[in-house]
Amino acid sequence: MAQEPETLHLDISSEYFRMDSEEVRKARSIHWYARTDWGMAVLSYEDSSFLLKHPLLTQGSAKWPAQHGVTEGHFDRWWQKTLLVLEGDEHNRIRRLVNPAFSPRRIQPLHERFRSLANSLIDDWVGVGKTEFASRFAAPYATRILCMILGIDERDWKKIHQLASTIGLGLGITIQENIARIDEAIAELTRYAKFLVRSRRQSPRDDILSTLVETRDTDDGKLSDQELINLIILLIFAGIDTTRNQLALSVEAFSKQPDQWEKLAANPDHYAAKAVEEALRVNPIGRWISREAADTIQHKERTIEKGTTLHLFTLTSATDPAAFDNPDRIDLDAERAPHFAFGGGIHHCLGHFVARADIGIALSAMATRMKDLRVEEGAEWLPDSGNTGANKLPITFSRRF
Amino acid sequence: MKIFVEMAKCENHGQCAISAPNNFELDSDGNLRYQESFGEEDLHDIEDAIDSCPLQAISLDRDPTYA
Ligand code: HEM
Ligand code: SF4
Repeated sequence: MAQEPETLHLDISSEYFRMDSEEVRKARSIHWYARTDWGMAVLSYEDSSFLLKHPLLTQGSAKWPAQHGVTEGHFDRWWQKTLLVLEGDEHNRIRRLVNPAFSPRRIQPLHERFRSLANSLIDDWVGVGKTEFASRFAAPYATRILCMILGIDERDWKKIHQLASTIGLGLGITIQENIARIDEAIAELTRYAKFLVRSRRQSPRDDILSTLVETRDTDDGKLSDQELINLIILLIFAGIDTTRNQLALSVEAFSKQPDQWEKLAANPDHYAAKAVEEALRVNPIGRWISREAADTIQHKERTIEKGTTLHLFTLTSATDPAAFDNPDRIDLDAERAPHFAFGGGIHHCLGHFVARADIGIALSAMATRMKDLRVEEGAEWLPDSGNTGANKLPITFSRRF
Repeated sequence: MKIFVEMAKCENHGQCAISAPNNFELDSDGNLRYQESFGEEDLHDIEDAIDSCPLQAISLDRDPTYA
């Protein structure tokens, strides 16, 4: 029998655990994966890339509510029918119908609205040289962009943000103690989504929701009202907190590298897209992508038994020295291999072109108006695991103009 | 017209095979396989595949011999 390779154990549920640490770098230099209490942690770029798209490794989140004692109710019924959880033909039929509505071609006409939103939020505090970035920029920006896509009145953004945060608790390990609130939020969003679908069927507008309502395919028919409602709730669930936190993480990453911030400021049209990719590479909101083995598979020397949970570490694979030069530094001029912050395979993030465009526009707007960016005392960070980010991010800067 | 995929960009996500299964597929190793030529009836699906590719690696090239 081949000798088992030495692998390290990473304590990913500890509050002291850090993705960007010597411990994780050491584990990655020893072997392509490490052990954790919650399954395998895949660390290397090459193996992450391969396993991410493996057809026998499924998204594996379907059982999440049941594993935490929730087996019925509005949240559970919605969750079991979301794109994120569906597999095979059921997933692909819906994905095929919705993909074109989120293409760069369809997003492009919204860029100007993203830019004026970014600038109007910055106007509110740019004069005082400091702000609490999470609540004064990231939350309204991310939420109002989702409102634009769905054609929701942007003045309702606080309500939508509140509902998104509540259903977000469904991903926390405290799901069971919060389930009454979560179910109520799903019920409220369902009523809201029904109203939106009905009004777009009667009178289409030029938002993405109208495109989705009109979508029809000769083979796959069209999206039913129930499918549309489930999707609207999923977009609110998957699109707001992710973007909000990724904005904070991007600002944090650039505050450590003023030279690259200056480079972006000097030529935002040229560097905006790179700035987004580099921020997602070194400081992604999703610290890992989850997969579950639908069957037993062999990868390299390791037999991965059916039912095994895998965490593909995004920051770790995207800073693997085997695939990137000077990997821990943002370098807007480097040619980099793609990171996996948006996942991959059939579940690859549906909204990535929206997120890439709006984060690029936000960073450019900030860089052209602010310099000497610093994160101050009092930042409140989420744990460095699963989905991370900042609930509070006090920043200071000097104004350029 | 012919389908052209920039293989250096392609990351084998397989979104194209969801949109246009007659023209794109992932083989048993998970690598993209596609047919360059296609029938008129598949054009709509191929346009959806072009829109859906996360790397924007797919294009339709007009074949110069028919130009
Ligand atoms: C920086 C922002 C974002 C990040 C980092 C992100 C990341 C992700 C990740 C990691 C997945 C799972 C991929 C996998 O398992 O392989 C995902 C799925 C998804 N995301 Fe995003 N996302 C972001 C923004 C958005 C936005 C703005 C929207 C909607 C407008 C969105 C909609 C979705 C949907 C619908 C899915 C499920 C796709 C499927 O299972 O077929 N995301 N996202
Ligand atoms: S969708 Fe794009 S990246 Fe994915 S397999 Fe097809 S061509 Fe390659």
